[in-house]
Amino acid sequence: MNVIFGTLLILSTIILMFSSPETLLSAMLSGGEKALSLTTKMVIVYAVWLGVFALLEQSGLADKFAKMLKPFNNKLFGKLPDKANNFMSLNISANILGMSGATTPMGIKSIQELEKHNGTEYAIAMFFVINATSVQLIPSSVLALRTSLGSTFPSSIILPTILATLLSTIIGIILVKIFIKKGAK
Amino acid sequence: MRYFIPVLFLIIFVIALFKKVKPYDAFTSGAKSAIPFAMSIFPYLVSIFVLTELFEVSGLSNAVTKLISPLFNLLGIPSELTKLVLIKPFSGNGALAILTEIYQTYGVDSYLSRCASVIYGSSETVFYVAAVYFAGAKTKNLTKPILISLFASFCSCVFACFICLIL
Repeated sequence: MNVIFGTLLILSTIILMFSSPETLLSAMLSGGEKALSLTTKMVIVYAVWLGVFALLEQSGLADKFAKMLKPFNNKLFGKLPDKANNFMSLNISANILGMSGATTPMGIKSIQELEKHNGTEYAIAMFFVINATSVQLIPSSVLALRTSLGSTFPSSIILPTILATLLSTIIGIILVKIFIKKGAK
Repeated sequence: MRYFIPVLFLIIFVIALFKKVKPYDAFTSGAKSAIPFAMSIFPYLVSIFVLTELFEVSGLSNAVTKLISPLFNLLGIPSELTKLVLIKPFSGNGALAILTEIYQTYGVDSYLSRCASVIYGSSETVFYVAAVYFAGAKTKNLTKPILISLFASFCSCVFACFICLIL
């Protein structure tokens, strides 16, 4: 991350120094502005979802749901602590259903839970790759955009998208299995 | 599909009622954690967004796009889509802007647009997910998982361009 960030930072600064030196600072500031406006939006989305999740958790529903998925999770991630299993089950279900507001808070909590235990490097890597290769089945935002621009057959892309999504996730899972060692360091 | 969220929420609310959960207290306690969450993510978002902005404004992104296009062509990714493939791992909004542009330039139902839809819909903003999920984490060595995710996403882009020819 640091290497990529540093290289791109220096390269673009050098280019801008020669092409238009006055835009450097304003470009950086506008990046910050976008980050802030996204953060504000996220506070709202998180507040609502985390509120609903608190109800889900306190009614014991989250535990039951996670227990159902446990055998599957154990196979994919190795043995998981109960609490991490809960958050991860919610995150992956929300991912598949395309509830993007719900995936991020549960994802962060999953990682935090996993980090409390030793020997979870493999689970963390697998969990990240599954999240980063997208497992959303119905691309709702693309569908909405296509419909609004007058596509005659907006849903024609659903099947190819599902296939492509599955392919990337499967390749990701296989590569994690090959390149990242299971068990404690 | 329209009823999914309302029905799901209703089920959660009703079950909470039966389990004698104090709904007001529970909801508030959940919502309370939203601010520290967002605060911990903010610095990472700033870094990513500043970088994306510089990358775009400096013209570096166009240069890289030109440089890499022939290579992508060999794998069946049309030059018009190179930029989308490159931007998606960094910025969802940036990618959405490019997707809209492709729709408007080539028509929503053209091969290029369908391809772009599948690429957009089947991949994730890898660097963004890495930054946000690991905002408060001790694990900082993500090189391998990031490379794996990028490679897997790239494979699905190549696959997308291929499958849109048939389907």
